[in-house]
Amino acid sequence: MHTIYYLVLVPMVYAAFAVFIVGSIVRMIKILRTPKHPTTLQIFPKKEPAWLHALSDTFLMPTVLKHNPLLWVFLVLFHGAVLLLVIGHLELFSDFALFQIIPHEVFIGKGLVGLTAAVSLLYFLFRRFTSPVRDISVAEDYYLLILLFLTVIFGSEMDWARRWYDYDVMGVDAYRTYLWSLITFQPQVPDEILFSGHSFMLVLHVFFANIFLMVFPFSKIMHTFFALPVNKLRRG
Amino acid sequence: MDAKTRDDLLQLFQSKLNRAMTYYLETCTRCGVCTTACHVYQSMPQAKYIAAYRAEIVRRIYKKYFKGQGKVWPSYGEAKELTEMALEELYEAAYSCTGCRRCMVYCPFGIDTQMIMSIAKLLLVGAHAEPEILTLLADTSIEKGKSIEFFKEGFLQGVKNLEQQVVEKWKLEAEGKTVIPVDVEGADLLYVALAGAHSIIPAAAVFNAAGENWTLSFFEAVNFGAFVGDPTKTKLILDRIVNEAKRLKVKEVCICECGTAYRVMKQLSGKQPFEVSSVTEVHARYIREGRIKLDKSRFQGPVTYHDPCQIARNGGILEEPRYILQHLTDDYREMAPDPRYNYCCGGGGGLVALGEETLDFRMKSARVKAEQVQKTGAAILATACENCHTQLENLNHHYKLGMNVQFLTSMVADALVI
Amino acid sequence: MSNAIQADKVMDLKGLPCPMPVVKVSKGIKEVEVGQILEAQTTDPGSLTDFPAWARTSGNEIVDTIQENGVIRIFIKRNV
Repeated sequence: MHTIYYLVLVPMVYAAFAVFIVGSIVRMIKILRTPKHPTTLQIFPKKEPAWLHALSDTFLMPTVLKHNPLLWVFLVLFHGAVLLLVIGHLELFSDFALFQIIPHEVFIGKGLVGLTAAVSLLYFLFRRFTSPVRDISVAEDYYLLILLFLTVIFGSEMDWARRWYDYDVMGVDAYRTYLWSLITFQPQVPDEILFSGHSFMLVLHVFFANIFLMVFPFSKIMHTFFALPVNKLRRG
Repeated sequence: MDAKTRDDLLQLFQSKLNRAMTYYLETCTRCGVCTTACHVYQSMPQAKYIAAYRAEIVRRIYKKYFKGQGKVWPSYGEAKELTEMALEELYEAAYSCTGCRRCMVYCPFGIDTQMIMSIAKLLLVGAHAEPEILTLLADTSIEKGKSIEFFKEGFLQGVKNLEQQVVEKWKLEAEGKTVIPVDVEGADLLYVALAGAHSIIPAAAVFNAAGENWTLSFFEAVNFGAFVGDPTKTKLILDRIVNEAKRLKVKEVCICECGTAYRVMKQLSGKQPFEVSSVTEVHARYIREGRIKLDKSRFQGPVTYHDPCQIARNGGILEEPRYILQHLTDDYREMAPDPRYNYCCGGGGGLVALGEETLDFRMKSARVKAEQVQKTGAAILATACENCHTQLENLNHHYKLGMNVQFLTSMVADALVI
Repeated sequence: MSNAIQADKVMDLKGLPCPMPVVKVSKGIKEVEVGQILEAQTTDPGSLTDFPAWARTSGNEIVDTIQENGVIRIFIKRNV
């Protein structure tokens, strides 16, 4: 069993990041090497400066706010939560003064960030079961939401256990040892992580996260990188 | 479908995969925000009329042949093989889309469904499954470009016959002056009309009233190559006019009231020694410069204006028609929602050119347009596109709107103070 | 008038919007037999270039064109 744990926590993590990074870069380069569209694709009336409006379209999603406010609320909550989760994970490497502008205890968000993400994901999933969104959905849409939900729920459970139920075997120090060992290519998994009662949660969290990273470059999640350039096309 | 045909079609598909197209195909998250964007869906709420659904029909074939997932795990993205049946689906998707790009205003990414549909249209052309009549019309236009010398005499005679009507109606001084000049080298402006007299006579009246140094093109403006989605033919049809403009050394090419023609000429002709303008822009300019005067009392009752999608949302001509209308009426009624969200008339993308064949669909799918027009309470419905005009006229009849559907140029010509 | 070719079918296309004259003629030509004559009446000068170009593309033949009193009469022989 612990061999499997180890495989998920070390070699699979390396594999996942390799696929994610190389895959994303190769795909981006391939697309950037295709010829530009010969004509403008903007819609009018044109607003200047176009790049500023493209940024606002990308990060504030005004069209969603206008046509589906409830979806917009969940989209903002979800994407905001994802951003905080990324920050939270960076802080599992070490302290960053920048992130501590608002002083907080690692992991950021008092456990509410993961909860927000999980609830948003459930909303996204359940709205896909009803028409008309159901009619335009393909299997990928469900797989990705379920995969993300599983990743978030197992990740958050560890945070919740520490914060709300005083479970203190697996702490920030253990994560820092583990993650630093990975990033310095001297992999070492502390006993707290491999042998504690909550190890299976961490392993499942990492397992689903690995799969997500490996699917990322080949799925619609690439909208992370494409949203801005594609919005720029509309703004001219 | 045999392997050779499929390979040929996939080659065509590949030819469309430039950077923008790849973004459009890769980025959609199927969030469903576009659901209510399409006038067809609003009039007939069926999933197949949702923009994302239409696009997904093309995207599934893309996943099958141009993405690893289509080979490794086709069911993941529901990748689809290119078969005869797939072609039928592509046909239905492409020819129930008018290319108005209203969905683009809704999409959080700004995905251009019209552009994705251009893949569907090109595949249909490649499989000889496109609407035959559109190809015939495109070929006719190209033929005309090849052998213009052959037809010249007849055309000049036909134009001569129209001149008299212009002179009579507008009491213009015609002595020693050509009322409808053709083939004039060194003219300032080349006017590209449609085949119909209604597209030439009023325009001629306005040009002459404004003292424009103009010349009429031998060719009709409309580009059926664009309607049928054939890039080669689109270019050939466009080049006839570009070459004529260069030969005559004109400074400006003015496109008549035809949405497709304007957008294709404006955006696809590339850098040329001449400017491209729509006749609406030119008329607005004449008014602004005081070169023509209009009589406001000529038209009675409230007036509304339908923005042709290819001219307004996709071409940027929004202020000019409104400026002209200020000089034609004191009771102008803007449609709601505003031009950015204006509904397509329901006749774009070649549907009007397909005539009675598409009439039933056009009437049913444009119910929201009819309602939008009706809500203004206007008596006169003006527009600046032949396609829209035909469709609006059909809607007027079908939904018994009791409106007077007018070309904006005709209104300008009729209200001229000479 | 009297010296005009006798048509087997006459179509009134006067004042139709673009591109209906050509669309209607392509349909109308199918309603006469090969070798018979279709007469299209129009007022649009564009037809004077459109119809010959269409005839070449579709393999039919314009046998005569008469312009009188502002009306253009085009006589088309069905060849295919």
